[in-house]
Amino acid sequence: MTDDQQRFEPRIVGFLCNWCAYSGADLAGVSRLQSAPNVRILRVMCSGRVDPSFVFRAFQLGADGVLIAGCHPGDCHYQEGNHKALRRVLLLKRILRGFGVDEHRVRLEWISASEGEKFARVSTEFTEEIRSLGPLPLENGRLLHLPADEPSPVLAEVAG
Amino acid sequence: MSQNGQVRTGVYICHCGVNIAQTVDCAAVRDHAARQPNVVVARDYKFMCSDPGQQMIRDDIQNHKLDRVVVAACSPQMHELTFRHACEEAGLNRYLFQMANIREQCAWIHQNRAQATEKAKALVGGAVRRVTWHRPLEPRVEQVNPNVLVVGAGIGGIQAALEMAEAGREVYLVERESTIGGQMAKFDKTFPTLDCASCILTPKMVSVSHRKNIHLLTLSEVTRVDGYIGNFTATIQTRPRYVTDRCTACGECVKVCPVSVPNWFDEFRSTRTAIYKSFPQAVPNSFLIDKQDRPPCKEACPIGQEASGYIALIRAGKFAEAIRLIRQKNPLPAVCGRVCYHPCEGQCNRGYVDKPLAIQYLKRFAADWEMAHASEIEPPVPAEKHEEPVAIVGSGPAGLACAHDLALAGYPVTIFEALPVAGGMLAVGVPEYRLPKQLVNFEIDYIRRMGVDILTDRRLGRDFTLPQLFGQGFKAVFVATGAHQGLGLGAPGEEAAGIVQGLEFLRITKCAAPMAVGKRVAVVGGGNTAIDCARTALRLGAEVTILYRRSRDEMPALPEEIADAEDEGVVIRYLTAPVGVVQQDGRMRALRCVQMELGEPDASGRRRPIPVAGSEFEMKFDTVLLAIGQRPDLDLAAAAAAGINQARNGTLKVHAETLETGMPGVFAGGDACLGPATVIEAMGMGKRAAESIGKYLRGEPLEHYTTQMVSPGYRRPESCRPHAYAPLYKDTERRERVPMPKLAAAERKTDSREVDLGYSEEEAVREASRCLNCGLCVECLECVRVCEPGAVDHSMIPESIQVQVGQILLATGYRLLDASPMVHYGYGRLENVRTALEFERMLSSTGPTGGKILLENGEEPRAIAVIHCVGSRDENYCRYCSRVCCMYALKFAHLVKDRTHAEVYNFYIDMRAFGKGYEEFYSRVLDEGMNLIRGKVAEVVRASRSLREAGHLLVRCEDTLIGRFREVPVDMVVLCNAMQPQRDVEAVQRVFGISRSPDGFFLERHPKLDPVATTTDGVFIAGCAQGPKDIPDTVAQASAAAARMLATISKGVVEIDPVRAEIDERYCSGCRICNNLCPYSAIEYVEDQNVSRVNAALCKGCGTCVAACPAGAITGYGFTDQQIDAELEGVLGV
Repeated sequence: MTDDQQRFEPRIVGFLCNWCAYSGADLAGVSRLQSAPNVRILRVMCSGRVDPSFVFRAFQLGADGVLIAGCHPGDCHYQEGNHKALRRVLLLKRILRGFGVDEHRVRLEWISASEGEKFARVSTEFTEEIRSLGPLPLENGRLLHLPADEPSPVLAEVAG
Repeated sequence: MSQNGQVRTGVYICHCGVNIAQTVDCAAVRDHAARQPNVVVARDYKFMCSDPGQQMIRDDIQNHKLDRVVVAACSPQMHELTFRHACEEAGLNRYLFQMANIREQCAWIHQNRAQATEKAKALVGGAVRRVTWHRPLEPRVEQVNPNVLVVGAGIGGIQAALEMAEAGREVYLVERESTIGGQMAKFDKTFPTLDCASCILTPKMVSVSHRKNIHLLTLSEVTRVDGYIGNFTATIQTRPRYVTDRCTACGECVKVCPVSVPNWFDEFRSTRTAIYKSFPQAVPNSFLIDKQDRPPCKEACPIGQEASGYIALIRAGKFAEAIRLIRQKNPLPAVCGRVCYHPCEGQCNRGYVDKPLAIQYLKRFAADWEMAHASEIEPPVPAEKHEEPVAIVGSGPAGLACAHDLALAGYPVTIFEALPVAGGMLAVGVPEYRLPKQLVNFEIDYIRRMGVDILTDRRLGRDFTLPQLFGQGFKAVFVATGAHQGLGLGAPGEEAAGIVQGLEFLRITKCAAPMAVGKRVAVVGGGNTAIDCARTALRLGAEVTILYRRSRDEMPALPEEIADAEDEGVVIRYLTAPVGVVQQDGRMRALRCVQMELGEPDASGRRRPIPVAGSEFEMKFDTVLLAIGQRPDLDLAAAAAAGINQARNGTLKVHAETLETGMPGVFAGGDACLGPATVIEAMGMGKRAAESIGKYLRGEPLEHYTTQMVSPGYRRPESCRPHAYAPLYKDTERRERVPMPKLAAAERKTDSREVDLGYSEEEAVREASRCLNCGLCVECLECVRVCEPGAVDHSMIPESIQVQVGQILLATGYRLLDASPMVHYGYGRLENVRTALEFERMLSSTGPTGGKILLENGEEPRAIAVIHCVGSRDENYCRYCSRVCCMYALKFAHLVKDRTHAEVYNFYIDMRAFGKGYEEFYSRVLDEGMNLIRGKVAEVVRASRSLREAGHLLVRCEDTLIGRFREVPVDMVVLCNAMQPQRDVEAVQRVFGISRSPDGFFLERHPKLDPVATTTDGVFIAGCAQGPKDIPDTVAQASAAAARMLATISKGVVEIDPVRAEIDERYCSGCRICNNLCPYSAIEYVEDQNVSRVNAALCKGCGTCVAACPAGAITGYGFTDQQIDAELEGVLGV
């Protein structure tokens, strides 16, 4: 890890569903489980509400990573919203790859209302993962070019 | 993103005492907030949720003309409602408010003050930007259905139900078991007052049964819940009790039930019969029958005969009842007991252990017993009488069975039989030594006595036609003419004399005079007909050779028939087929045959025989009997015009279920449709035809049949044990199948006496006792016979109903941890190691020992150990404390001292005596001289040195108060198992849409302030379903939940947050992507306008469609795209 990375504090946005993940995060708080302070949470009613364009917007506004957390499959308060979230995230990751954004910057987790420990662990782990990935190379809302000797991931996506 | 004009926002940072302020610099956050766009007021205060805090907001709204409010404090799940109401009281729409969670999701989880403060600033910034995009909304007001659903009828459910019923509400009380009362009904005495549990519980149970407004549904479970608070629709499945409410609980049925299984209520330490009542004071006060999977013997039988039923009766020595049961379905028991191909035995589960039950031999035994003991059995009198006469063509098993059933239903029946004798193949096809004429006539006479006319020498086509029958006044016809025409060889020369159809040979020999067949006889074929021909020819003095073109494995004849034939001296040549006849003067002299070998399987799945080139040889015979296949000998030239279709092989085509032919009013069955098949299949079709004809004549639709008609391909499901209470097949003791006594082989050739002699009574009972009672209830129908009020109804089926309720209470209770994996305690392995519930049953006067404390060998114990914390407070099992065990352990100690002279040792870790009167009880019990040892028990072992020595148990632990290792000898160990959530708690959680806490019990809305509500509005929890607790606390929670529900009902309406979706039709292109995404089908497509539209009443506001709309045409109120975008800006802006 370079000095740059050691000083680098990731900024992570979390979309948490009201019924499971948000309650799980509250439980982590009630249990005083300490975790990294890098995750800023937005509450939505269901992980199915998360439009993939929110993720792009978050990156555009300066987020280095985005966490989406919903109920476990089968437990969604609205039956299957989390299934839709899963489908979208899979497609989203492919598109991000095409843009040259490391797909690990988006993470989908299933966290139930009783999984305070899991929420705390995921927050901290994800923060460290983003820290090692480094800041999202963005300047004035545009993705910076990659070093010249690396093949363009866009070409790889299209050719591959 | 442009800001929204004139918005005036007030921001309030809460210290929450030191909870937030200790970690977050609230003043800095306040100052940061003050600099945010549109913020006109920013304050911080110690307790925003307190009265002064809320007043501050109200004053600022008035004085500063605020139109948006942000509070940064605890979780919105905690206080969003509080602050919304504060806004509303000051005249601001409650939805123009946003909370930032800087306590649970900031101050409480970070330690670095700088970082926590930065994060808090970001969260506040997000809230401030978001709230500018809030719009005033009105909550939805819905009526509350005053009915309630209570799930679980233990003491908690009963208490809540009674309180709500008392207030005049309709209560649906659903209980999974057959009786209400839950676990408390199993207890003997309750701590600390030592009240008898039944004495305080049963009056409440009786109240439940008396109250008209409590709708009690036992043996029921809620399988689905739709809707929302105030308007739930619950689907409830009820298992059949098989006993109606005419039951007077007299108990006569128990005396005659032959089945015995472990009793769940006594923790499996006693037995009960298949028809039973859980315990004497059960509510509803009615018996029920435990039926598990349908036994494969009944499922495989083409007439659905209850083999396990009559076998159980034979085993109990009730032979008259056995034959009576058989005759309810089967009019030809003596016949079936001799010639049936017994598909039941092929599927008998005993086959997994050793050999299948000899079901056929037992049926024969019952039939023979009847003939020996009752010279004439009277057929039952039909319940109704009908006028419409029915004609049956053919008096074989299909025709006879059809006639029997129709006569029983009250119809006049006439059978037209082509031959001079009645019985079809039974009379002319099966040889005397297998099925004596006298028997067949006996059974046919029974049917005649039911009023059935049998006219012989009447052949269809020659003497009458089908239209003529209708002309004579018959209203329906059943054609069951069989398949009496033998197939030819298809070889040159077969028209020579000496080549005879096997069927013709059998018929002439049995009904007229024995045919002269000479010394050397060949039989061509490998089925039962071929074997019958061979053994009959043998009895006429010939040397018999069977020529079969495949190998022994492919021979379709019954294995026991083949074995009998070989015992008698029949020679079987396999892989041999005749290809031509050598004749002289028109008479056959020899057969030219060829050797065969087996090639690839053909359409029937058997390997195709292929002639071996150059292997031809000749064999000299006097007579050749052909038994290579049969077809119907019907000539229905006019039939095709009338609508009856024949297949290429001459069989009649019928509708698979109704047995209708194409001709109206004409049904068909038996070999005439199946080709050469079996007696029992023919009977099955005959009985189905009778039911079909009955419906036809009464003008009813031809559907929903009760007669079974099983295809030969039935295969029993895989299993490892016959029913839930039985040992595994591999653990079941092997026993020899009782062989059928037979006439010695040497004696058989001289005459046509029956070869099989039949079981003696002792043999029959011995064989019957091998039956495993696969269905648990064996359907012997003895209970029906002895029930005077006629309350037993074996045909009951599961039911499903839907109820509309406004609120739901879950009081589903607990189960005890299974201690078997804790091998060091020896539960399930050592004798006299019990769980607490088992010990309760032992103490109870209605339990297996009548209230006496006894060891397995019946003696009184000299010393008992009670081990606390078995699985509780244990990292490996349950981390929590089960709360009640210390107290009931003390109760046990007291009762042991009270009833026996035994010493009692309680092994505890901490003593928890927290309730009212508990500490006093503890002192009192101590004074009675019990022994308390502080130390978690390490292991329980046998004191004896070898397994052969009977011995007591040793409890080993460290006595931590004296710091020494101890071994305490005792006779019995009682474990205080941890209380756990019910086994299916995950499935139940999903049905009701609630969460669980980390310990697995249902999650309450707030552990301190709201223990009976859940985060799902309208669903409440009470009792041990929420966490381990004793009876007083369960009752308190149940009453609390009842009060909450009654309060909502008395308000009459609920307000539901208007979080929902709405489609802006200007932007909707009618792409319909959203339509299928909605789990509530709340989006409809308006065809003539080519737009989609959300039904506001059905929409629950998940937002899935909002995210999916490619045009962004859907607004998700409360969570719009602009609001979320603004929040992102704020949260990342720092």
